[in-house]
Amino acid sequence: MSTTVAERRIAVAAQRKHSLHRSRMWALWGSYIALSVFVVMFLVPPFYTLMTSLKSSAEISAQTGSPWLVRHPTLENFWYLITYPNFQRYYLNSIIVTILTVAVSMVISVLAAFSLSRMGFWGSQTLSTGVFLTYLVPPSLLFIPLFQIIGQLGLINNFWCLVLLYPTLAVPFCTWIMIGYFSSIPKELDEAALIDGAGYLQMLWKIFIPVAMPGIIAATIFAFTVSWGAFLYPLAYLYTSNQMVLTVGIISDLIRGDVFQWGKIMAACLLASLPPIVIYAFLMDYYVAGLTAGATKG
Amino acid sequence: MADGTSVPIDVIAPGQVRARRNTMQRFAQRRSTTGFFLCLPLILLIAAFVIYPAFYAIYLSMLNKKMTAFVGLGNFQFLLKRHTFQLVIFQSCLFAVTSVVLKAVIGFILAHLMHNIPGKNQRIWRGLLLVPWVIPLALSTLTWWWMFDPSYSAFNWVLNQFGIDNVPWLGVGWTARFCTIAVNVWYGTPFFMIMYLAALKSVPEQLYEAAAIDGANTIQKLFFVTLPMMRNIIAITVLFSLIVTFADFDIVRILTAGGPQDMTHVFATYAFQIGIQSGDIPLGAADSLFMFPILAFAAFFVLRGVTRRTKEIAA
Amino acid sequence: MTAPEPQAVGKMTRRRALKVTAASAALPLVHIRSGRAAGKLSIAFWDHWVPAGNAAMQKQVDAWAAKNHVEVQADFITSNGQKNILTIAAEHQARTGHDVQTFPTWEVHNNADLIEPIDDVMKRLMDKYGQVNQVCEYLAKVNGKWLAVPTSSGTQYKGPCGRISVLKEKAGLDVVSMYPARAEHTAASDAWTWDAHYKAAEACAKAGIPFAIGLGQTSDSVDFAGTLFRAHGAELVDKDGNVTVKSDKVRAVLEYAQKLVKVLPDDAVSYDDASNNRALISGKSALIWNPPSAWAVAKRDAPQVAADCWTFPAPTGPEGRFLPYLPYFWGVWSFSQNKTAGKELIEALMQREPVEQRCTEVSGYDVPPFTTMLDFKIWSEVEPPKGTVYNYPIRPFHKASAHIAAMPAPPEIAVQIYNRGTMPTMLAKLKSGQSIDQVISWASDELEGFAR
Repeated sequence: MSTTVAERRIAVAAQRKHSLHRSRMWALWGSYIALSVFVVMFLVPPFYTLMTSLKSSAEISAQTGSPWLVRHPTLENFWYLITYPNFQRYYLNSIIVTILTVAVSMVISVLAAFSLSRMGFWGSQTLSTGVFLTYLVPPSLLFIPLFQIIGQLGLINNFWCLVLLYPTLAVPFCTWIMIGYFSSIPKELDEAALIDGAGYLQMLWKIFIPVAMPGIIAATIFAFTVSWGAFLYPLAYLYTSNQMVLTVGIISDLIRGDVFQWGKIMAACLLASLPPIVIYAFLMDYYVAGLTAGATKG
Repeated sequence: MADGTSVPIDVIAPGQVRARRNTMQRFAQRRSTTGFFLCLPLILLIAAFVIYPAFYAIYLSMLNKKMTAFVGLGNFQFLLKRHTFQLVIFQSCLFAVTSVVLKAVIGFILAHLMHNIPGKNQRIWRGLLLVPWVIPLALSTLTWWWMFDPSYSAFNWVLNQFGIDNVPWLGVGWTARFCTIAVNVWYGTPFFMIMYLAALKSVPEQLYEAAAIDGANTIQKLFFVTLPMMRNIIAITVLFSLIVTFADFDIVRILTAGGPQDMTHVFATYAFQIGIQSGDIPLGAADSLFMFPILAFAAFFVLRGVTRRTKEIAA
Repeated sequence: MTAPEPQAVGKMTRRRALKVTAASAALPLVHIRSGRAAGKLSIAFWDHWVPAGNAAMQKQVDAWAAKNHVEVQADFITSNGQKNILTIAAEHQARTGHDVQTFPTWEVHNNADLIEPIDDVMKRLMDKYGQVNQVCEYLAKVNGKWLAVPTSSGTQYKGPCGRISVLKEKAGLDVVSMYPARAEHTAASDAWTWDAHYKAAEACAKAGIPFAIGLGQTSDSVDFAGTLFRAHGAELVDKDGNVTVKSDKVRAVLEYAQKLVKVLPDDAVSYDDASNNRALISGKSALIWNPPSAWAVAKRDAPQVAADCWTFPAPTGPEGRFLPYLPYFWGVWSFSQNKTAGKELIEALMQREPVEQRCTEVSGYDVPPFTTMLDFKIWSEVEPPKGTVYNYPIRPFHKASAHIAAMPAPPEIAVQIYNRGTMPTMLAKLKSGQSIDQVISWASDELEGFAR
């Protein structure tokens, strides 16, 4: 899709006058330069994380020369983490929690979005505007009262509580994207389906979901990002290492009181960032395309 | 589900006008029942884990410290009189508004720059610029903290190379405020960029061509084509980000924990400090409830604008 | 065990009464000390900063569990990011969780309504091992009843830890001969006053290796400021809850502090509990106030610094010599299903032998609460340099007492003074150039807000 736009633009550019072409070239190079500046600024912390993760504790505390470079690169931090049972546990927990959260969130939000964009019922208008307002009550307000609710459910210090709580962070946004996406599907399509004898769920399954795939992928990625990186809920409700997820596990386990094992912390940051980076790298185009179609209609 | 499959039969069901109207009514009723059931998981989720605890928070906020007596709005009154809390209100607003404005502006610029370059090159650039958004915030904040650290600051090392003295990044009120905002902007800008880029892509090229024929220059195109077309998405993104930024806990908690001298506390971290650390849960709940009216106020205006515009477009 | 929730009886609801009856019915009504503990027990320990600490504890717990046929689940919860306090809050709110919890400093008071009194255990321990210090009593004895047993695990003193060579060369302070590694009172130690502390700080700052004393809001900063105030007799709030910040003694300590803060690092106001350690380990500081964890890290990452460190008591002031003390307590939740086993485990772990064993494993980091236990061998053995932590625990000839910031204010006010870092913030304000009057008026406004 983007290539056709580019081709068209190039074709249009070719038809224009020479001076116009040259000013376009300038704009193009200007954009590249400006983007490079931003890229450098944005990547300073990750770069520093990488450098620190390759240092030994002794090199970090020695403070000779530039902290931005590593003189005796070592993989000991990574090796330590990979073979460290607690860290493996956090990673596994994070994966389980995230997969379940994403699944739950997507089922809830696709069903709701389908219903809200196609089937009016009493209060459905309010609900579709209101669902976004859920964010008005953020986790930092809810974590205190939730102590009792989670406690009554018997889920204190149990990562399953996150599978219940994380969807509240992802669902409103996902629903909103999906409402936008579903609304952009022509009404004629479902009328035709109904006349063909398809039920609503069949219609959702056979027509809406395939057509709205980019939107679903965008929403999935959003849900993934949120549940992979959430911090306050696991900080509040999980406290033993067999239940912790990565974000809170790294902070509680690798910082021993007033002792920071920076090399290991940084290596852990990198390892923890790996899954989102891989996912974004592969699904980026869908993400943008899905947001384009879904969000802009909202 | 049985509802769903039985509907078409009803539709095909023949008959007189009267019967047909009945069927239509029933059809509409069934449709709305199905619709309601499809929304039920959403409603239950929100009711159980957002609305109920929110009301519970309101109840908690009206108790005394030992949670043995009802004090009405006493906690709110008490908080409002505290200088420290007035500082917290100011800082929360400063933190959220400044961050969101910066994120929106930089995100807008980035989206435009990105839109300028050919599509096939965009992937890699987009990927690089999204990195801050992709790393879990709690962990990247740790890196920032490490770079600001008084004894080991990597930034200070760079400054020293240019003969500039050490800067106590998190040690002085305004510098610390600047740092928390900077980290937030660093983290949040990519999200704005990607949302705006999505919006830019959906602006039909013909509009620009038409504007070009009318002799519009770049700035005019920006103000009369791009911005109006992006208004809704800008509003929604800003609202979303405003809420998330207002409620931020991770950055301030990890970077400064509210210091120096309470000069970076925001609602969430202050609630944590008085509610959890000092064991005054009702007061903590009252503190965090202050977020709600401020956000609701913003949301009301943003969403009113959005629905009005959506209706305009629909009409 | 006969009166499970004495202070709650008056307001006990029917449901709660039922619950309590059910709980006590499940337990032997009379507390029989040995052989009766059985079933399951879960206990939350403080996640020790010295990694060997957890292993040593686990071993002792396992041994006890095997002997008494109790299935014990021990969890180690870090105090980092206040994780332990969050956990306590969670369990308190949810009324479920571990049977035995580790309560840091103020948490006993904060959770007093749900902690089982433990007078019986405490009495037996004190009969055997002598008194505990005032701070323990202040923090864990509520309405005349012990609610929790002060433990050694994680309990620390936070006296000065200085660089021997730097202090000698830059400030003329020979800390090793002042506090040698043997039971001996020296004349030089009498001259170790707050004025001497200031002079040394000034000299080291001039030499570019300042004292790294934090003026932030975390416990290291608070504990330092607390002991400074106490040594000058300056109370922000007295034991009856009156705000007493507008006093000559507070003014006097602030006058002293006004000089001192000028010679502390510029970023001292943003220090957390790790900043001072890093300053020491990186060789940029002559002295910090900290338990020996900083020294332990230096031993690993910067051995030449570690070999130059010496831990010694706090300086003395007009009202005496006070050492910051940060105790942890073990208490049994009143909603626990196995209180008997919980109490027995606590008692077993607090016997001299296991305490000494654990203390040895963590190179003397842990300070036992009982006075008779302050003579473990480990403190004279740890090196380098040999005897570096000999003077870490309070020895009789130190003539010092333990102190926690804001004592003796009523604990519900003191906890706020402590957690909000009122005292170090006063110092930080002095550092930012405010006058003593401004600082006092700020503090009195702040303190009025605590008496709620």
